[in-house]
Amino acid sequence: MSKRHLLALYGNFEEAEAVVRELRSATIQGFDVNDDMIVKSPIEHPQVEAFLGDKPVYVQWFTLFGALMGGLFGFFLISGAQANFYMQMKGGKPIVPFPPNFVLTYEMFILGGVFITILGFLICAGLPAKRSPLYSAKVSVDNIAILVKAEEAAISVLKAIFTKHKALEIQEEAGK
Amino acid sequence: MKDIREDIAWAKINVDVMKSLENPRKLYWVILFFALMAFGFGVGCEIYQYQTGMGVENVNNPQVWGLYIATFIFWIGMSHSGTLLSAILHLMHADWRKPIYRFAEAMTTFSLMTAGLFVMVHIGRLWQFYYSLPYPNDRGIWPNFQSPLLWDAMAIFTYLSSSVLFLFVGMIPDLAIARDTMAAGWRKKLYTLLALGWEGTDRQWRNFRVTYLTIACFLIPLAVSVHSIVASDFAMSQQPGWHVTSFPPYFVAGALYSGCAAIITLFIILRYVFRFEAYMTKPILKKIVRLTFAIAMVWTYLNAVEFASVWYSHDEVSKDVLIQKMTGTYAPFWWGMIFCGSVVPLVFAFKRFQTNIPVLFAVSLLLNLGMWLERWMIVAPTFSHGYYPWTWDHEQWPSLVAWGLVFASFGWFTLLFMIFCKVFPSVSMYEVKEMVYHRTLHLKKSETAEQGAH
Amino acid sequence: MSVSNLLENWSQVRHEHPVNDKPHDPYKWAMAIDLDACTGCNACSVACYAENNIPVVGKERFQHGQQMHWLRVERYWEEDSREFPDQGFQFLPMMCQQCEAAPCETVCPVAATNHTADGLNSQIYNRCIGSRYCSANCPFKVRYFNWYDYPTDEMVWPAEMTQQMNPDVSVRSKGVMEKCTFCVQRLSAAKVVAKGEGRIVREGEVQTACQQSCPTGAISFGNLVNPESRVHKQWAAQQVVLDADKQAKDEKEEGPGLRGYRILEELRAYPSVMYLERVRESAV
Repeated sequence: MSKRHLLALYGNFEEAEAVVRELRSATIQGFDVNDDMIVKSPIEHPQVEAFLGDKPVYVQWFTLFGALMGGLFGFFLISGAQANFYMQMKGGKPIVPFPPNFVLTYEMFILGGVFITILGFLICAGLPAKRSPLYSAKVSVDNIAILVKAEEAAISVLKAIFTKHKALEIQEEAGK
Repeated sequence: MKDIREDIAWAKINVDVMKSLENPRKLYWVILFFALMAFGFGVGCEIYQYQTGMGVENVNNPQVWGLYIATFIFWIGMSHSGTLLSAILHLMHADWRKPIYRFAEAMTTFSLMTAGLFVMVHIGRLWQFYYSLPYPNDRGIWPNFQSPLLWDAMAIFTYLSSSVLFLFVGMIPDLAIARDTMAAGWRKKLYTLLALGWEGTDRQWRNFRVTYLTIACFLIPLAVSVHSIVASDFAMSQQPGWHVTSFPPYFVAGALYSGCAAIITLFIILRYVFRFEAYMTKPILKKIVRLTFAIAMVWTYLNAVEFASVWYSHDEVSKDVLIQKMTGTYAPFWWGMIFCGSVVPLVFAFKRFQTNIPVLFAVSLLLNLGMWLERWMIVAPTFSHGYYPWTWDHEQWPSLVAWGLVFASFGWFTLLFMIFCKVFPSVSMYEVKEMVYHRTLHLKKSETAEQGAH
Repeated sequence: MSVSNLLENWSQVRHEHPVNDKPHDPYKWAMAIDLDACTGCNACSVACYAENNIPVVGKERFQHGQQMHWLRVERYWEEDSREFPDQGFQFLPMMCQQCEAAPCETVCPVAATNHTADGLNSQIYNRCIGSRYCSANCPFKVRYFNWYDYPTDEMVWPAEMTQQMNPDVSVRSKGVMEKCTFCVQRLSAAKVVAKGEGRIVREGEVQTACQQSCPTGAISFGNLVNPESRVHKQWAAQQVVLDADKQAKDEKEEGPGLRGYRILEELRAYPSVMYLERVRESAV
């Protein structure tokens, strides 16, 4: 069954929040509030996260993995290279000296952490993303947008909810 | 006094900042022109030096390092305050950082790039530079991982790439704004590409928040380690005047100090050139000035600690170097450093100067002059008066080529920085909106509280 | 592969030098310079220039401090009330001290300067990128940098002069650090000959250029681990121990009256050159 998109714009967060609460409490045939609703906002808004409920973020696991791998790779690359490169005997120091290797391991730990965190961010946030079917440039100014996806039957119900909460504008995807 | 007006419309923020990408004041082009001239001069000097040999720097056999290394440390140091503003203050939820951290971060990136150039300019065989990179090769030859210079290379690479990524990630929502508002053309294409399809969805923001916080957490110890490692170039050596235990924190304090002074300078320039008076407000300037003052005093203290520990130690050679700094050939510069670094910032203690823009502009330049002198006074005197009396040489003076390259580095930095500010939004639009929003909420809350009290 | 190599040779890669020492075997090149015998004639320095293709930089660059003398003869005198205090000054020939724990080695970013198995502080010209950190960290300041491209400089080596260059020694281009090598080309040649005959280099078989040209025999050079060598005997007689930063003989209340010392020994660079203090009264 094909679904259509609907986008509603709101001028402030209280209205948007009210809409989201209503959508979450209502049971609408052909519309799943967890999968079919996206809230777009111009700023990072802690309340949005609050009223959308707990959604897990996995970026930190990438960070952990990246940092550990970076550190391990750094240490073994350096120590291994030093051990292989026997000519590099330095007066007064062992061929594999620990203090310098720890300094470099520390840097590699951070380097790995940062790089893999960025990778994790791109993966978890789904970037670079294809643009969604309905978008309003007003979101990048000051409006908050609620994008929903629903079957034909539910569209009118959703529209009614949006209008009830004084949507500034409602965009609708053309029917297929 | 408030950091920003809460009644500023969000749409106006977009318009004002986007305007800075289109039509700055005429002064912008003047600055760009002079920066280009200075950079061009430096390119000429470098070509001459590359062709002729390092002798044209007028360095000699005991005095093998000169202005280039001093200026290298200066630029590395300047980069640190970008991280201070963007990462440390982010963790501390200091909202006033929001309008100014973007350009501070750009300053970090470009001053690191400038510092990187000095490594190139300094080494005798630039064409063999790649020997210092740890690339696998079938001869099994690696660089020397024990050398503090290699730690430097690694630290700077990590710092530069992390700063660029941090700058970029923090800019994605703004790039989306630019994409949405810019008229069609090459710029719109550029922003569309760089915005990565950002639409501000809840999923994007959620991951964005965690990512930004995580990288901020990484950047703080990284920034500290970078300048500690630069300090290790000296502290790890055996030379009198360099082999000082307190060098790493001293260098970090000096770095934050010169960086904050540079932020004041650039703040004043950007505020005027891009008409950012509504965002880069005087109360924010006042906060940076106070921060700079605190750091200046920390630096002064660490300086005193260094001198005192040399003085009370029985390390005669280090003591001689210190006396030489105070009374010898370099005395005017050494006292200049003390004056610019420890006396001039006392101006900041006076309330009426804390928002006086011409005074602040002049003072911030003097502070950075002092910090540049500091770096020079670390590098040069040790060479002129080291362990071995036969090689003492108090006469050496850098050549015009060396001064030219130092001068040109300012042109190169300004060029990159000014181009960045014209191509990318140098005030973070979405974060200024957040700042305005937080202020509105705060006002609302206090109003309700007041009504409740009545 | 590299990790297994690391683990297999663990004790070897953690070996420090010269502390926890396995002594150099079969060679440890070292020197002893008798300052009492030195007349300051500078023949050693000239011989060094000739042997090692060292560029003569000319007056102007010398004044800039850009001279390249691997071996310099320093002069010291007492600033007393005499009319000409520098009359009767003392000489000190100074070259790379070939430290056992050389401060220059650890700081080179590209590992262009290393400690060799026969106890030298080597310099690999091809590898050097010219960061000059080694010279910055050298307490004796005996490293010299090629500030200009001397081999192509007509003033340094006019066309016909290139005929007299030593073919065993490479000329160094601009941007490269160089220093005294203890005439490593001679050492290598002698070692090759000795190896062919299945023995080690005998005492007196190899001489450095400075040693060879010294008219008073002030410089002795040889294999410190060979008990037959003059250098070994001198070091032993003077009770100077290679891997010590403080000599036991100096601790004694009543000095034994020995003349041997090493310069800046307390920095723990463990130099391989021992000097014998001058006992002669000054010439005045």
